[in-house]
Amino acid sequence: MYLATGFEVIKENLPIILPILVVELILLITALTHVLRHHTYRFGNKIMWVLIVVFLQIIGPVIYFAIGRGDE
Amino acid sequence: MRAYIAFTKKEWVESIRTYRLFILLAVFFVLGIMNPLTAKLTPTLLANFAPEGMVVEIPTPTALDSWIQFHKNVPQMGLFVLVIMFSGAMTGEYNKGTFVNMVTKGLKRRTIIFAKFTMSVLLWTMSLLLCFGLSSYYTAYYWNLDGFTQILQSVICVWLFGILLLSMLLFFGAVVRNGYACMMFTGGMVVIFFLLNMLPSLQKYNPVYLVGSCQSLITGELVMSDFTASIIISIVFVVLSIVGSVLCFDRKKL
Amino acid sequence: MNILEVEEVSKTFGNQKILDGVNFHVPEHSVFGFLGQNGAGKTTTMKIVLGLLQADHGTVRVNDQKVTYGQTKTNRYIGYLPDVPEYYGYMKPKEYLRLCGEITGVSKKEADKRIEELLHLVGLEKANKKIAGFSRGMKQRLGIAQALFNEPKLLICDEPTSALDPIGRKEILDILYQVKDKTTVVFSTHILSDVERICDTIAVLNKGKIQMQGELSQIKEKNKREGVEVEFASKDAKERFLEEMNQRQIVYKQSEENPLLVEVRGKDQEQLAKRTLHILAEKEIIPVRFFCMEPTLEDLFMEVVKG
Repeated sequence: MYLATGFEVIKENLPIILPILVVELILLITALTHVLRHHTYRFGNKIMWVLIVVFLQIIGPVIYFAIGRGDE
Repeated sequence: MRAYIAFTKKEWVESIRTYRLFILLAVFFVLGIMNPLTAKLTPTLLANFAPEGMVVEIPTPTALDSWIQFHKNVPQMGLFVLVIMFSGAMTGEYNKGTFVNMVTKGLKRRTIIFAKFTMSVLLWTMSLLLCFGLSSYYTAYYWNLDGFTQILQSVICVWLFGILLLSMLLFFGAVVRNGYACMMFTGGMVVIFFLLNMLPSLQKYNPVYLVGSCQSLITGELVMSDFTASIIISIVFVVLSIVGSVLCFDRKKL
Repeated sequence: MNILEVEEVSKTFGNQKILDGVNFHVPEHSVFGFLGQNGAGKTTTMKIVLGLLQADHGTVRVNDQKVTYGQTKTNRYIGYLPDVPEYYGYMKPKEYLRLCGEITGVSKKEADKRIEELLHLVGLEKANKKIAGFSRGMKQRLGIAQALFNEPKLLICDEPTSALDPIGRKEILDILYQVKDKTTVVFSTHILSDVERICDTIAVLNKGKIQMQGELSQIKEKNKREGVEVEFASKDAKERFLEEMNQRQIVYKQSEENPLLVEVRGKDQEQLAKRTLHILAEKEIIPVRFFCMEPTLEDLFMEVVKG
């Protein structure tokens, strides 16, 4: 019954939920490609940043670009 | 003047290529949509997660709930992201040494300060406009935009507080050499403002009044003139920070 | 006329006196070598000239104008190449130079012309990628291009060759040599062969003071050590040679370090060499090495630094 309501809620609000998902996905992909294509970070290592970017929604990519990204 | 435009342009290019603009827009985009969405869904979620058998009174969400979310999320998440995105704007350049070529080419140091301030305010304004635009659109979609003038006024208060934070970041960026220290000092100032806010007699003069109480504009408990004192104090702080940045940066070893 | 005059400049960091009354001047259109060991205070001196550091005492004049710390108007006469030049890595060289042009207030048309010329001069016209991907040598060459952008009367280079491999060094020196007609070049270094290659005037900084300065040719002339060195294959050969020398009463000196080496000193190098060769031929001695002595900058430098 809960599940049904959940689907109902999502379906009802799809026009508003969809853009959020899309932007989050773009953020995730941009950050992830940057992490994978560069090899120097201000601190931490590749695995750590991949985990942060993938599992911390929104804030992960923000933290990576703000303080984790190494100099080009 | 040409040097100012040139350096501002450089800041713009930098914001694009170092993903600063992208991050800010993405975060404020998500925030802008989350505000009305959270307002809309919170009662449903509460009802769903409430223990079975318990009778939960579900208030019907209103447009006001959406703006309450706005004034909760933007000052917390939004300003936090803004501060960390700009905390290294000055210190990153000292540490790399990129100012040296510019200054030895005759670029006035104060021009650097003005250009950086201009660009940070511009990016903040764009981000906030995006966020506000989306929140307005979806609030209108679910409910209505009654009292839009008051809503706009409350957003202007948040905008001014953001500018205050940016000017303080610039000032501490001109004083210290480390991005984290710059962020900590700015955060420290905000903490001091919040501590001062515990003195009721000073509340009206306190810059955090701008973000703390501005939703009362929408409910009609307060009117814009109640904010005059804190607006003036904030502007004074902004001007002092910029003047201080110029003075400190002129003496800075590059 | 002197493009740069440094008078009685002192600077202390903590309780360490780095510069203790430094005096020197750089004549226009010269290539000025600023020598000193690592840590002698060369970079400090240059930063004071550029107004990036404040001197405790003394004055610096560039093109007859006093340098002030912080707001440095004199910098419009100066092009500066830092020891490790740093750029906005996300820009391409053309974009960076265009930014330089806009900052110095050159018209767009003129800027485009200069960018073409300068990139050609430093050999980066085809390097159309982000500066972040540049090698050190390329960064150094771009550094010269940006330093020359405002057509400075004075080009200051801080250790431009130290971090480079021999090929990179030669490239930089060639570029510096090329621009000496248009500007005055001051460059600091601890690599003496670089100085001998392109400098006409030098100053040596040691223990916070200028120990020696002037035109390189004059300094060499003044410290001339004329004579020849002969190294023998055996002690016997040397003895036979010295016997003849004693007979002819020619002054010589035996080396302390190498028992097979003899130095013959005198004023007229050519005459001296001829006579020595004559003796060698007469006695049928074939030396391992025969060498006309020349004062090297290294000798002079060592004397100054040790003395």
